[in-house]
Amino acid sequence: MMSFNRRGVLLGSAALLLAGHAKAAGAPQRIAAIDWAMLETSVALGIMPVAATELIQFRKDAVEPAIPDDVIDLGLRGSVNLELLHLVKPDLILISPFYTRQEGTLSAIAPTMSLPFYIKGEPPFEKALNAVRALGERLGRSEEAMSVEADVQKQLATMRQSLAGFADRPTYLVNVGDSRHVRVFGSDSMFGDILVRLGFRNAWPDRSRFTFAAPVPIEKLAAEKDARIVIISDVPVEARSGLRSSMIWNALEPVRQGRVLQLPNIAPYGGVTAGMRFARLFAEALQAEGAAR
Amino acid sequence: MKRFAWIFPAIVALFAVALFVHEASLRLPLALWGKMFLSSASLSMDEIILFYGIFPRAGVALVAGAALGLSGALLQQLLRNPIADPSTLGISAGAQLAIVVATLFFPEFLDGQRTFVALFGAGTAAAIVFALAARRAFEPVTMVVSGLLVGVTAAALSAALTLAQGEYLMSLVTWNGGSLSQQDWSVFQSLSIEFVIAAVLSALLLRPLLLLGLGDAGARSLGVNLVGIRFAVATVATALAGFVAAGVGLVSFVGLAAPALVRGMGIRRPAMVVAVSPVAGALLLFLCDGLVQFLASSAGETFPTGAVTALIGGPLLLWLLPRVRTADLHEKSALIPKPRVLRQSLPFLLLAGLTIVVLALAVARDGTSWMVLDLTQIRDLASLRWPRLLAASAAGGLLALTGAILQRMTGNAMASPEVIGVSGGAGLGFATALTFWPTGGALTQLGGAGAGALLVMVLMLAFASRRHLPADKLLLAGIAIGSLSSSVLAALMAIGDQRSWQILAWLGGSASTATAGTAMLLGGIALVGLVVSLFFTRWLTVLPLGAPVARSLGVSVPISRVVLLLICGMATGAASLLVGPLSFVGLIAPHIALRAGFVRAGDHMAASFVLGAIVMAFADFGARTATFPYELPLGLFAALVGAPYLIWLVARGER
Repeated sequence: MMSFNRRGVLLGSAALLLAGHAKAAGAPQRIAAIDWAMLETSVALGIMPVAATELIQFRKDAVEPAIPDDVIDLGLRGSVNLELLHLVKPDLILISPFYTRQEGTLSAIAPTMSLPFYIKGEPPFEKALNAVRALGERLGRSEEAMSVEADVQKQLATMRQSLAGFADRPTYLVNVGDSRHVRVFGSDSMFGDILVRLGFRNAWPDRSRFTFAAPVPIEKLAAEKDARIVIISDVPVEARSGLRSSMIWNALEPVRQGRVLQLPNIAPYGGVTAGMRFARLFAEALQAEGAAR
Repeated sequence: MKRFAWIFPAIVALFAVALFVHEASLRLPLALWGKMFLSSASLSMDEIILFYGIFPRAGVALVAGAALGLSGALLQQLLRNPIADPSTLGISAGAQLAIVVATLFFPEFLDGQRTFVALFGAGTAAAIVFALAARRAFEPVTMVVSGLLVGVTAAALSAALTLAQGEYLMSLVTWNGGSLSQQDWSVFQSLSIEFVIAAVLSALLLRPLLLLGLGDAGARSLGVNLVGIRFAVATVATALAGFVAAGVGLVSFVGLAAPALVRGMGIRRPAMVVAVSPVAGALLLFLCDGLVQFLASSAGETFPTGAVTALIGGPLLLWLLPRVRTADLHEKSALIPKPRVLRQSLPFLLLAGLTIVVLALAVARDGTSWMVLDLTQIRDLASLRWPRLLAASAAGGLLALTGAILQRMTGNAMASPEVIGVSGGAGLGFATALTFWPTGGALTQLGGAGAGALLVMVLMLAFASRRHLPADKLLLAGIAIGSLSSSVLAALMAIGDQRSWQILAWLGGSASTATAGTAMLLGGIALVGLVVSLFFTRWLTVLPLGAPVARSLGVSVPISRVVLLLICGMATGAASLLVGPLSFVGLIAPHIALRAGFVRAGDHMAASFVLGAIVMAFADFGARTATFPYELPLGLFAALVGAPYLIWLVARGER
């Protein structure tokens, strides 16, 4: 009986909510976030969605913001559990152009709001800020949106100043796929965009190479000898010993000189929160290295 | 050997070497290479990359190519089948599945034990395929169709497992094909040792293997231990594929191409074919890898080499088609009526149908426990549940109907909708629509998939209308097209951007995208399809008796084929457009229907249709409840239902 299940509770609360539905005609109150960047944005505005997708993975990969246990997991981003979504009775569903294909089905359940974050070749940070503004307006939280933006800009400016001493080195931002391949973040990634805003130069001149299969062989990182290498997110277990013993990895100038920083997990396709998480972790790692540089 | 036949490979070899030198000298001018080996000073970065990256990569390409070439040549000689190779027989896929499973569940174990893991997977897949094909005397088409099914199952299992782990992004990654990029000489060293051992074993086995070619009786009279030799050769070939999979991942069709190229040059003596194939394989993979690197350095697009070699498979199969021997082995024993079984089967079908309707509409799950919904809840959820129930059953019915028609038409018990290539064509069209009209929305994508399916269907019909084409070869043509489409999709996924997500979602298949409108449409198509095919009962009664009998009874084989394929194509197309490319239901439903006593053509089709609908409805129920709230792709779940059936089929042995 103890597990008198979530669905039962859900149905009950859904019925209750139906009664109070008319009252909330103004700003949407029950948000369902399908897109992770939108999930972050909503939380940044102070509104915790009642339901979101792939929370197990989100807590592991994105870490921030913390999502309370009572937020309902709607299943996979690629195939959202429509039935559960229907039972949640959201009054707004947050998506991005990734989900164009499902838009029809989703909007049959509740109105949808779709904002672009990532467009091939375009830097995403400004888009993430625009999303904060647009969502703030929709949720009746324009003031919060303004303070989020001001806060972000201020933090970036502070960090830019305090990191000025490190900024002369070009920086590779990578994610290790296997012991021979990495994914690389370029100017059209959140991390690459933030990096530039912190006054650094991205050692990778091209657009991002972030795909399922890590596409960039490690030797491509030899192009900039003076660079530092920042590894974003944990190295996969099965790649660790291979990478440690790799001749080329160990011959890379930054590796030889100990200019490799390892950052914890950050969502690669996140919004403002992921961007700021990267900025903070990057700054902390740099300052911890300190004299070593 | 034809005169001057050596000129062509010599030119290719020169070209491949030139390509390699060109790419390598981008890193370090050729003039400085000598200095690298002579000077005792520590190496510069460029020299290190050349010495530990580029040279071993070339070495690995050569050795892996040689291993695959040898493996393919051995299998082709053993099975007397020009289209046998580790990829067409599902062996590479099995190895890859084992690696995926280990990556997910035992990553520490994989780090160091890759070879064992891959060998285990390759061995299991080979055992299944050989056991399946043993029932039809290792007849080539059945082998390849079985291999395809094992490959599909392995891919489905791997994707389902990754999905169940919540690693959505990862899910089809590992199917993108092997990359040959190297960081040191370790892979080259281990692959070389493994290849040399296998080559020595092959040399020892060659003479008895060639004696096998004389026919079983002849070989036995010469004192050859048939079973032992067959087993040993199969083991060596499988192990070679496993070694390559462990070292570099999935590299398809090199083993198919190498012996074919050797024979194409006019080399006919079996011993020579086996001996020269490794050279051809090495050269081929070296060349492919050179092209991949050239593409990467000049156009900036990096593809894994394995995804590129996969592209040659489809066209190559089509080219080899005329050489494949087909046996007219019709399984007449299956057509003996069993009315007693039929009487018991009907109520069972009704019961199963009723059960799934109740389950699908009135039962729910919340991750920890099951519950029966009350009437209000049923009504509340009905608008979401009936369309997917209807769409899933209609798709299942259509696919099973197609399977029944194809199995009767070709007389091959392994024929099923995925081997006629229509869903492959739909996939290609879908990807094309995504590429050229990225903002087109659902309708454009549907249109693209429809156009792709139609195009492939026209191709298949052109094949089918050829008078003297054995029915089995039709299946091979379909497999070729299907393989081409899946390799193009894999290459697109390797480029990877938003498209990959959408391709991934489509490949998985899902009934959850069905709306009331599309579900009714599909339901309507299903009913029309069933009624129309029942008009052709006579053809389907006559065709299984073989082409000569059919002709003597006044049935035009080309016309009946074209008409029936048209129905099959439209049925498969409609099902895969709306629900995704689904597997297995089309294969197993007609089998079960036969076994249940629905033997006459009309009964067989109708019963397959109903069974397919029921099975798919169950699969959809499973897909949405098994890992609630995480929905498994329907296609994967359907494949998971089919896999145990295949294994059961193997375990049963003789019919």
